[in-house]
Amino acid sequence: MTGEPLAFVTSFSRALRDRGLNVTPGTSIDAVRALAAVDIGDRRDVYFALRSLFATRLQDLAVFDAMFDEWWDTARPARRETGAERTKQSANPPIVAPWDEPKASTTSSFLTRWAASLAEAEDDATVPMAAPSTREATGVKDFRHYDDDDLHGLEDAAARIVKRLRSRRSRRWRIARRGPRLDARRIVRLALATGGDPIRLARRERKLRRTKLVVVCDVSGSMDLYSRFLLQVLYTLQHAFARVETFAFSTRLVRITDALTGDTYREALDTLARVEGGGWSGGTKIGESLESLRVGWPRLFDRRTAVIVLSDGWDTGDPEILGAALREIRRRAGRLIWLNPLLGNPSYEPLTRGMQAALPHVDVFAPAHDLASIERLAMHLSF
Amino acid sequence: MKEAIERLQQAMADKGYVTDRATATAAYLAVTLRKPLLIEGPPGVGKTDVAKVLSRVLDTELIRLQCYEGLDVSTSLYEWNYPKQLLHIKLGETSGQSVAHREAEIFSESFLLERPLLRAIRATRQVVLLIDEVDRSDEEFEAFLLEVLSEHQVTIPEIGTVRAAVEPCVVLTSNRTRELSEALRRRCLYLWIDYPTLEKELAIVRARVPGIDVQLADQLTGFIQGIRRQRLVKMPGVAETLDWAHALVALHAESVNDGVAMETLGCFLKDQADVRRVRTEIETHGTAALVAAGRDAR
Repeated sequence: MTGEPLAFVTSFSRALRDRGLNVTPGTSIDAVRALAAVDIGDRRDVYFALRSLFATRLQDLAVFDAMFDEWWDTARPARRETGAERTKQSANPPIVAPWDEPKASTTSSFLTRWAASLAEAEDDATVPMAAPSTREATGVKDFRHYDDDDLHGLEDAAARIVKRLRSRRSRRWRIARRGPRLDARRIVRLALATGGDPIRLARRERKLRRTKLVVVCDVSGSMDLYSRFLLQVLYTLQHAFARVETFAFSTRLVRITDALTGDTYREALDTLARVEGGGWSGGTKIGESLESLRVGWPRLFDRRTAVIVLSDGWDTGDPEILGAALREIRRRAGRLIWLNPLLGNPSYEPLTRGMQAALPHVDVFAPAHDLASIERLAMHLSF
Repeated sequence: MKEAIERLQQAMADKGYVTDRATATAAYLAVTLRKPLLIEGPPGVGKTDVAKVLSRVLDTELIRLQCYEGLDVSTSLYEWNYPKQLLHIKLGETSGQSVAHREAEIFSESFLLERPLLRAIRATRQVVLLIDEVDRSDEEFEAFLLEVLSEHQVTIPEIGTVRAAVEPCVVLTSNRTRELSEALRRRCLYLWIDYPTLEKELAIVRARVPGIDVQLADQLTGFIQGIRRQRLVKMPGVAETLDWAHALVALHAESVNDGVAMETLGCFLKDQADVRRVRTEIETHGTAALVAAGRDAR
């Protein structure tokens, strides 16, 4: 290594941070301290010491190795600048505001159509569909063949999911009058008043686990036949369960939580039609939409949050943006679930570029084309 | 300074833990920078042993906290000695002291039961605190742990804040069943321990199974390295290699041949599908081929 350890660490930290590593000023200070504790002429020592500080996850090791190789010999300022510039661009792609590029909307807004008539949408032959089903038993009937009478089944399914989310108990305890276990500490306190005889008992129970849901629903043209029913599920969820935030997107993201609180589903659809503001169109920008979700609502995700993305993965945007956005969301949320109606088709393979970029970051990849698959969703929400 | 890391590596080897430069450097920095060391890696590669051997090298006590879901303050930090408290109340019944006074009495130091974290913090000399399988605890505990690790102090409502006189040397291990928080990672030095190379594993076997025939050790290590290249459900860790080595020595096996391998598969394969798979492999290609594959691994 050439030059001062401090200068080296400062610029090296910056370069690593640009590559997406979790580097704070504190890390850099520790790195300087570490370099004081090892032989900085020894490449191996410097490498292991800095690696243990800068690479904090298994995935970081490869990035760190590449950067260290590049930096060890040639830490010249000129090269550093261009290197940082270049990596910065690839690691943090500029966020493209979807509404900045107006698109000629060839597909009329499906929401307007629903609100007006709740009419059956016509088949779009160019888009692959989930397994065509001729079986009439509810549960295996594909949503494409649903009519309004079948909606009750959906409501029941949503209600079961809500019940599941509500009744989860954490392993932690809280004071309760009729809890199943005794609370020794409080019993001793109470026994003070009765001369050391534990006469009055105190109890405790398991805390309730407060799972939150964030649902992001693809309402672009290719999802048309499914989103109609998925929105119905979302409506029911929203109604029965307070901790749900719902978003819809095609080329841009809109928060529809408030719209879904209408008294009836029809009312909710009416509100939705007004919410859209002409922004819906036939294209799909999943990556940009998720990125704006992450940037616009950063406090939405914590370890108790399950994020559900409902989409077929037909993305006309940049798959890299999609991958980066999902990686960030996954990092903060408790669970990331991708529901793809097309997965109901046995011959479907998630080969689209969008799906390929998304899969490495997704905890659960499951179908959402019939009632049974919606009910199975409840299982994935226990984490 | 350079020698310090070498000396540590040598000292660890002297205590029966064969390790590489990366691990020695990380352990050395953990001690000198007083930062917790987070070790991740597949099961059975000796993550926990780093803490154990570190305590022996530092000639100090090892305090271990085994994590599990639902681990809470009363099992990790402190608990009150309830029977003692009740007896004390009974004995002091006639003393005529106020309830407040008696309450302060029974919720004091002498009625406190120390759990691992409190013990590590109250230790009068530096100890090694091993927080094992931290990924198994829940997020709430992780947040609490973070506070303890960064402040080196804990607060007990009835008594007050207890600050560490000597900061403990902290080693955390994780099997990556869940991703740990960024905040915790930032606080720690990070070390990934993978399955050892042939040379390292051989050195470990020879260090831990004294008296093993050199040839036998070489063969069995090659064999283990060979089957790690198969797609197994449960990869054998170093612990399994050592179990097998001990078993082969006890059976007075002179070499690893098909018969011996077939009889002792259970020492290092813990899944029925893996047993079937390796059996077929031995039947079709023979143990020699697996050993050769393991030797070529690099």
